[in-house]
Amino acid sequence: MGLILLSLFIVAAVAAPILTPYHPTQNVAASLVPPFWVASFFGASRYSQNTQFNDLRAFTNTTGTGLNLSSSLQGPDAITLNVSSVSGGTILVAKTLNYPYSAAPNQFQGSVSIIPSGVDATLSPKVSVFIEHQGLAQYGPLWNASLVLPGQQYHAELSSFDSAFAQSLGFPLGTNINQVVFSSKGTYSLLLIINLPQGPFQAGFQVTNFSMRLYGNTFGVLGTDGSGSDIFTQLLYGAQLSLLVGLVATAIGVSLGLIIGLMAGFLGKFVDEVLMRFTDMMLVIPSLPLLIVLATVLGTSLLNIIIILGFLGWMGFARLVRSQVLSIRERPFIEAARASGAGTGYILSRHIFPNIVGLTYVNLALSVPAAIVGEAALSFLGLGDQTAVTWGKMLELANESHGGLAWWWVIPPGIGIALLSLSFILVGYSLDELFNPKLRKRR
Amino acid sequence: MGLRGYLLRRTINTIVLILFVIILNFAIFQLLPGTQGVIANLLQNPRITDKSIIGKYENQFGLCSKFDPATGNCTLATPWERFGTYFINMLTFNFGVSYQSGHPIFQDMIQTGRLYNTLLLLGVSTVFSLLIGIFLGVFVAAKRGTVFDTGWVTTSLVTFSLPTFWMGLLFILIFAQSLHWFPTGGVTPFTQITAPPLLVYIGVRLQYLFLPALVLTLYFYGGHLLLTRATMLEALSEDYITTARAKGLSERKVLFKHALKNASLPIVTNAALAFGGLLGGAIITETVFNWDGLGHWIFNAINYKDFPVMQAMFYIIALTVIAANFVADILLGVLDPRIKYE
Repeated sequence: MGLILLSLFIVAAVAAPILTPYHPTQNVAASLVPPFWVASFFGASRYSQNTQFNDLRAFTNTTGTGLNLSSSLQGPDAITLNVSSVSGGTILVAKTLNYPYSAAPNQFQGSVSIIPSGVDATLSPKVSVFIEHQGLAQYGPLWNASLVLPGQQYHAELSSFDSAFAQSLGFPLGTNINQVVFSSKGTYSLLLIINLPQGPFQAGFQVTNFSMRLYGNTFGVLGTDGSGSDIFTQLLYGAQLSLLVGLVATAIGVSLGLIIGLMAGFLGKFVDEVLMRFTDMMLVIPSLPLLIVLATVLGTSLLNIIIILGFLGWMGFARLVRSQVLSIRERPFIEAARASGAGTGYILSRHIFPNIVGLTYVNLALSVPAAIVGEAALSFLGLGDQTAVTWGKMLELANESHGGLAWWWVIPPGIGIALLSLSFILVGYSLDELFNPKLRKRR
Repeated sequence: MGLRGYLLRRTINTIVLILFVIILNFAIFQLLPGTQGVIANLLQNPRITDKSIIGKYENQFGLCSKFDPATGNCTLATPWERFGTYFINMLTFNFGVSYQSGHPIFQDMIQTGRLYNTLLLLGVSTVFSLLIGIFLGVFVAAKRGTVFDTGWVTTSLVTFSLPTFWMGLLFILIFAQSLHWFPTGGVTPFTQITAPPLLVYIGVRLQYLFLPALVLTLYFYGGHLLLTRATMLEALSEDYITTARAKGLSERKVLFKHALKNASLPIVTNAALAFGGLLGGAIITETVFNWDGLGHWIFNAINYKDFPVMQAMFYIIALTVIAANFVADILLGVLDPRIKYE
């Protein structure tokens, strides 16, 4: 059971880059939106997902007299146009979207760049960008400009946050422009309209970055955080770091405990007294405040935190090893080994160590949760690695986010911590049963 | 060795521990290269003509062994001398001045009500976690092997192993944000112009106290429950319990008067020992709930790099834990006549 859970976590951690296409801090959607499956609980009509305009093409809407257009696609967002006209006309570059949701998106973000050639101040075409709800209405212009300088790149960001857009449509500031434009299901077009000047005219246009993404008010398996990053991705990458921190810190702690316990138990007398007094002192000192103090003073890189957690996690195990060694070294087989001339090192490595290997594994598994929770607690207090996405860090950000806590942001990391801890505890118990035959009767 | 010898030994042990904490604290904070260099750099800087500025830093860090405020002449103290001053300061609770507020730390701790707030929170959650833990532990032990038993043991293991901050966030999410039963955080409401009637005041305070106290209680009752269960099971298998039952005593009397009384020793010592963990948990819980106590102060000190406050708080928390340990040892020695004081 524990092993299955644990291997699930390991798979999730290792395969994180495969399982999710995003980067944990990459902005992929609107900020603080719930996961997509809320739609099936609270009514699909209230939720939308990410979509984007596709299917780029160019055409003219005036038929006949002398307007010639040839275009070639340069990619999904780029197209090159060559135009010749006798008496003006209009060219349309368009992308379409079949908007499948009745709910408006949370926001839209797009851009357009255009580089004209063969234009000048007297023969300057005018460009403008509109969004058209087919058969219903046209909204815009989101942008307009006169193309005067040949070779110059004219660029515009098309954003729903652009207050000028709302005002140009005659709405007061603060109107939710998303609800106005994408009011219902239907076919929408994103139009780049090029009005050619009157008179004979010949020019080329290079349209690039012509795209628009609609960020829905739901996203992904687990929604997004306050900066629009995918929480599922963060959860997977967090598993990676939690496992790393837990295992390495515990490995340091257990090795230290092993060394100190062996020394205290086997060398005895003075060494034992000094080491055990020290261990007792370290045990009494409250661990979380000490962790905080050390992390503040030494710095909060991930490596530092691992080392600090490791160096504060050996005491209990050292006592355990010592008591075990004390009992083993009185056994007859040690006496026999010594009688046959074995040295201290030989006895330690060949006779005593194998007898506490099981204990070591058990402790390794059982100490990992403490390290994981310790790291999470430090991160939560703002003492985590600022660049690393860990579960504790996620909870810290969720706690600090404005406008209240988002359940899809708070719950997953906690469950991650709890389940990972649980799986290590379960593995530890089964190892304990495996290595400690005495326990089989008790259970 | 008699009781007196045992007490003496424990006392010496405690003093050594306090010494160790002071040395550790000194080593962590005072031996930082940054702190050491401050005055040395100021002294060597030719552009500083106004030597009184050095006096300001001298007051804050105490790095000179001899300092003349008029001329600004300063003889840098050796680490040993500094440790001497530091040691005396720690013993007299003279923690210096907070970077953040500019007030003496001891004053900041008491007069802002932080100490009181923390003691209130810790007191309430200690009492409740003990009561719940012990009572449930007794009942669970009495009904050993039933669903009731395994259910409570599992529940307490779960609440025990959940991170406190997550539990806190979850409660805020459910009880404060969704259901609006309790405030999301703080000690008292911000807007309180006139003093409300006493009953209303107490009600409001309790409302604010409830969630953080609940989190801490849930975090700590599990340990008490498991320990009580274990010691009770041991006590219940003793002969005198059989005797008591044979006498025809009621089950309640058997459980609480005969078994619990004899099983209470480890519980008492554990309660004292758990205090250290409780303080650690309080740091996190106070941070989650914006509870303006010592723990929340530490959190602020982290963000402001307010080293004197952190240093003082670490010292005080360690001191409290050591004191709790000492009390536990003494209690054990006084209460248990079987102890051999070895």
